[in-house]
Amino acid sequence: MFTWDPRDLNCEQAAAVVEPSSIFLIACPGSGKTRTLTYKIAYELSRRADKRIVVAITYTRRAADEIQERIEDLGVDTSGLWIGTIHSFCLEWIIKPYGIYCPVLAHGYCVIDTHDRELMLERLCAPYRSVTHWDCDYYVSETGYYLGCQDTRKHDAIHKVLAAYFEELSASRQIDFELILWHAHTLMRDQAHIAVLLSRVFSHVLVDEYQDTKQIQYSLLLTILRAGRGQTKTFIVGDPNQAIYGSLGGYAIPVADFRAQAGIPIKEMALSRNYRSSKRIISYFSNFNVHATSIKSAGEHAVFPSLVTYNKDVAHTDVHDELVRLIQVSLAAGNTPQNICVLAPWWILLASTTRKLVAMLPDQQFDGPGLVPFSNDSDNFWFKLSKILLTESSPRLLVRRMRWANDVIKDLGDFGVDTTRLTQRKLLRECNALSIDETDGLRYLDQAFTDLFEQLSLSPENFPPLAAHREAFFNSSASRIERLQKAGASYINQVSFFKKVFRERTGITVSTIHGVKGAEFDVVIAFGLLEGMVPHFNEADGHVAASKLLYVLSSRARKHLHLISETGRSRGRYGVYTPTESLAACHFIYNSD
Amino acid sequence: MHISKLTLVNYRNFKNTTLRFHKGVNTIIGENGSGKSNILRAIRLLLDDTMVRAAYRLEESDFSRSLGQWQGHWIIISMEFEEISTDESVQALFLHGTATLADTLLRKATYNLIFRPKKEIRLKLAALDIFDEDKLAEIRSAITIDDYETIFTGRSNADFSAPAVYESIVGDFESCVFKSETEFPEIGAKVPGFLSVTKEVSLTFIQALRDVVAEFHNNRTNPLLTLLKSKSGEINPETMQPITQMVRDLNTSIENLEDVQSVRNHIRETIKDAAGETYSPASLSIKSDLPEEAEKLFQSLRLFVGESEEGYEGAIHELSLGGANLIYLTLKLLEFKYQREKLSIANFLLIEEPEAHIHTHIQKTLFDRIAYSDAQIIYTTHSTHISEVSNVNNVNILGRHGSFCEAYQPATGLEPSQVTSIQRYLDAVRSNLLFAKSVILVEGDVEEILIPVLVKKVLGLSVDELGISVINIRSTGFKNVAVLFHDLRIRKRCAIVTDLDQAFFDITPLPTDAPPTVAKKVKAAGSQKSGLERKAELDVFVAENPWLATFYAKHTFEVDFVAGGNHEAVVKTVPKVYKDAATIEESIKALQSGQLARMGGRTLTMAQKEGKGWFAILLADQLTPQVQIPTYIQQAIHFAHGPFSRPLLSRILQHRVECRFSSNCSAAPLHAAFRLELERFQREEISLQTLKAAVAFMLQGTSSMRSWRRWRDVHLGSAGS
Repeated sequence: MFTWDPRDLNCEQAAAVVEPSSIFLIACPGSGKTRTLTYKIAYELSRRADKRIVVAITYTRRAADEIQERIEDLGVDTSGLWIGTIHSFCLEWIIKPYGIYCPVLAHGYCVIDTHDRELMLERLCAPYRSVTHWDCDYYVSETGYYLGCQDTRKHDAIHKVLAAYFEELSASRQIDFELILWHAHTLMRDQAHIAVLLSRVFSHVLVDEYQDTKQIQYSLLLTILRAGRGQTKTFIVGDPNQAIYGSLGGYAIPVADFRAQAGIPIKEMALSRNYRSSKRIISYFSNFNVHATSIKSAGEHAVFPSLVTYNKDVAHTDVHDELVRLIQVSLAAGNTPQNICVLAPWWILLASTTRKLVAMLPDQQFDGPGLVPFSNDSDNFWFKLSKILLTESSPRLLVRRMRWANDVIKDLGDFGVDTTRLTQRKLLRECNALSIDETDGLRYLDQAFTDLFEQLSLSPENFPPLAAHREAFFNSSASRIERLQKAGASYINQVSFFKKVFRERTGITVSTIHGVKGAEFDVVIAFGLLEGMVPHFNEADGHVAASKLLYVLSSRARKHLHLISETGRSRGRYGVYTPTESLAACHFIYNSD
Repeated sequence: MHISKLTLVNYRNFKNTTLRFHKGVNTIIGENGSGKSNILRAIRLLLDDTMVRAAYRLEESDFSRSLGQWQGHWIIISMEFEEISTDESVQALFLHGTATLADTLLRKATYNLIFRPKKEIRLKLAALDIFDEDKLAEIRSAITIDDYETIFTGRSNADFSAPAVYESIVGDFESCVFKSETEFPEIGAKVPGFLSVTKEVSLTFIQALRDVVAEFHNNRTNPLLTLLKSKSGEINPETMQPITQMVRDLNTSIENLEDVQSVRNHIRETIKDAAGETYSPASLSIKSDLPEEAEKLFQSLRLFVGESEEGYEGAIHELSLGGANLIYLTLKLLEFKYQREKLSIANFLLIEEPEAHIHTHIQKTLFDRIAYSDAQIIYTTHSTHISEVSNVNNVNILGRHGSFCEAYQPATGLEPSQVTSIQRYLDAVRSNLLFAKSVILVEGDVEEILIPVLVKKVLGLSVDELGISVINIRSTGFKNVAVLFHDLRIRKRCAIVTDLDQAFFDITPLPTDAPPTVAKKVKAAGSQKSGLERKAELDVFVAENPWLATFYAKHTFEVDFVAGGNHEAVVKTVPKVYKDAATIEESIKALQSGQLARMGGRTLTMAQKEGKGWFAILLADQLTPQVQIPTYIQQAIHFAHGPFSRPLLSRILQHRVECRFSSNCSAAPLHAAFRLELERFQREEISLQTLKAAVAFMLQGTSSMRSWRRWRDVHLGSAGS
């Protein structure tokens, strides 16, 4: 039986872990949500008496990897665990095993590469002047699809683009991420047995970040729970205050609704002790608490004299100087670079900023999801393989690389390669033994792929899906590098830079607000807090959306929080951006600089 | 859960065949080379954990030879399971991977091994135009075994045994018709990675063994060690601790034995003397090396068995072969029992030819008792003794069908009452009915005794060599057994040979008839009538069944036999039947009278006196190669056997020639000349037609060497001389 040091969990957390019934857990920021989820999974895995599977659904693949690693570190056997995103869940557990019952999927299908999808939409948007592929985000519900774009004037055009898009996908037997959900839903709806079988296979279904879950995803989950009649337990965890994906259909379902639809007893619990931030930070982001969750300060930084500043005077042309100043002050105060984070609502704001920061702070390293120079389509086989090829063998990375190797071997098996003699160790050994004299990152990878397959006596060209993945990987990477280089990151094609991507985080994080979900830093510096960006001009209920974004970004900070609404940023024919109204309306005694 | 159906397509010697299985004990019966081992291997490819590697490495030779060119074809091994309880969570994963949702109760599952060309090749085939045979040939000739992939699928709904289904998925290579699709939902969904079927089920395979003692001596195959190993892993270290201590003490005591020490000292001294101090080893000791670990200690355990009552227990190699086999089988069964205790969703025990292991007496008891309620047992056999134990419902028969083999289920589609009567019949007569390549059903002892003798005398071949079993039904209830031979069941030919019982004397009642004559005529009339009725009934029964045909003796076997020109053979038995000279003389006269009523009457009288069976034995002794086989029996043999092959014909003719000439020295040149022709026939240089003409000529009583040469020049030319 898995046991833990009593100091590992507080009583709220421990109660949730050992609770035998299903749980709906509201967790305030910094309350050890991931830790609780991790221990819960480990606890249930260790109690596993039959062959049923514990399923955990996370918002990102990265979160899944992290949780799995943590459970392995706890010394718990994870062979009975399936963990991944809702999309991989639908693929693995519904579409692959039951797709033969869905006429659209029965004769084969493939999941479209994100880059190809972008290109296709771009092409289809071309005839419509006002519409770009950014506008074409949509999400499905049980009744059909909804547009992410709130600008109703564009809707006609977008619907036309999407109609052509769906037609093209279906003609080429491709599905995108939303269609994965849609087909999973129709299969479950039309074949009542699926939910019954799945409910017997799963002992637990755990869902992380429920507040960003969409109606159709809830419905899939609820169908299984209903079919299980209490045999399948659930564990729902998240924070309704942090629901920032409303424009894509995500919402925090009220516990009463969830319980009623699941038809099983579900206990409501809460994690209310914030271990992350100082009291001052907590009192600040509590201003944006729209769900009245209770938050108690309980961490080591509780009494830390935090600085919370708000600068709405700096001109947008000087914002980089201000960022550099704040970073330097933070560094001087003894904060390590990896504990500093620069946030902005939109990626386009960050692109030029990162470039300038890199130039202005040449001694510092910067790290952010946007700085990955190659295709980061985590479903792409070659992306998975490049993770191994771009990392060195070290005891610290061994567990992780073994898992990556396992993923690669599993994928090869799915592509029809005979993998009976390929072990994780062998794959890693062959990868480590490669010696490639090439400084250009993409050429390096290309050569590495070729050499490795030669070493393994495999010819990728015998497996068309492998070749297709390879092409998609390189095309998408090349265009990404081109874009980054145009933005001034001339170094980005170097293999040395490629290798940084999978290293442990070392530098200052630069990210969008959506991109730091779940992360925490000593110092958080946010700019671009402008009405129209925070909230996004598309948002229907701007005040609530803005509050949630501000809640999320503020609650990332342990010690210091610096907010900037720069002036003079041009908004085209609407003049210039003004500060976020919800922020301006917030009464708080900020620190002066 | 149990296997209910196994379909093999293009696998080894099976082109397309289906076996059916039931809960409990199942039998696969077949002659040598009919593919019994291949069936077990196919099952193991899907369910045996030790065979997974082999499943991914099928070879060219795994393709059925009847395919001709294997390139492009698929091998499919498809298994269906039934009686899956949905309640048990242990089966949940299995069902998730394999259950067919079409069955609303989720009680059926399918699991298939499919060996097919990789997608790349399938795409090429799918792109072919109809009748584009050149392109097809080009694609096929480039295909190697490396272009193939093995996939395991579940929840298929295709009936792979239907050639049309196979064609619709794989394609029609004859006319070059291929679907444009390369993925087919009918073949099911790939089994998810989380499910390893071989790990979910437990399967024990007991191979047919020729040398059990060697198995016992091999550490890898010794079943005792396997059992001990599984137990040694469970031993509590605390229990083991005192034993380990004792072993250590024992080692020390042995090492400290005075004699051991003195040997050690002697070695040292001798080395020093021989090599000198400088070159001698620095130290040297003798150590006792009894192992301390449980697993190694267990390896030193041996089984001793007392076979007789003398109280002596011997090692395995001292046992009788049968005894050793019994022990081997017992240990394997125990291994199976241990396996069953694991959390598996189904237990399978495959036994190859148990007759190789154990004596017939034990077999029956064994299979009566072995039936664990939660295990399915499948065994192959060519022993009639075991098949007699098995339930005919649970039997699969393998039969050769030209270049490939097929499986038949003898009880398919029969009423329970029909099955019961067949079962009783099989139990009672220990019949080799199920093994035969073809069958002649006869109604009594006489036919059973005489037909094999007739065949042997005339053709020089035994019925066994012809692959014909003559089965005595001991009544005219043919239908009970003949029902087995049917498109749905055993697809082998079965000839029914019976008597029409037409009267062979005038049965018109005359006013002058004495009472015994009246009774005789009435009885004969009755027989004649029921004979006709029987015929009508049988004719309907066999109509439209290509596997059945009826052949009637006009009267009865004895009468038709004597009427067919065999009266001299009967005449020779007369002195053995009668002692009285007058009766003997009268009998011979009657037999030689040429009048059917008298000949037949006398033969039947003699048969009645001796008892029909004994009379047949008497008669058998008198038969010569010149005996005439009654026509209806000839026809029955022809039907059952089918066309005679050239080598078989050659052998028959050889026999006839020997009969004709061997006793006649003057015919030696002719004899040799004929043999030459026969050899030419064997080498396929001359046709049967030509040979027939030559035979006809030679067998004329008047043929001489000179007339032969003349004939030969005319008919064959001089090529062969």
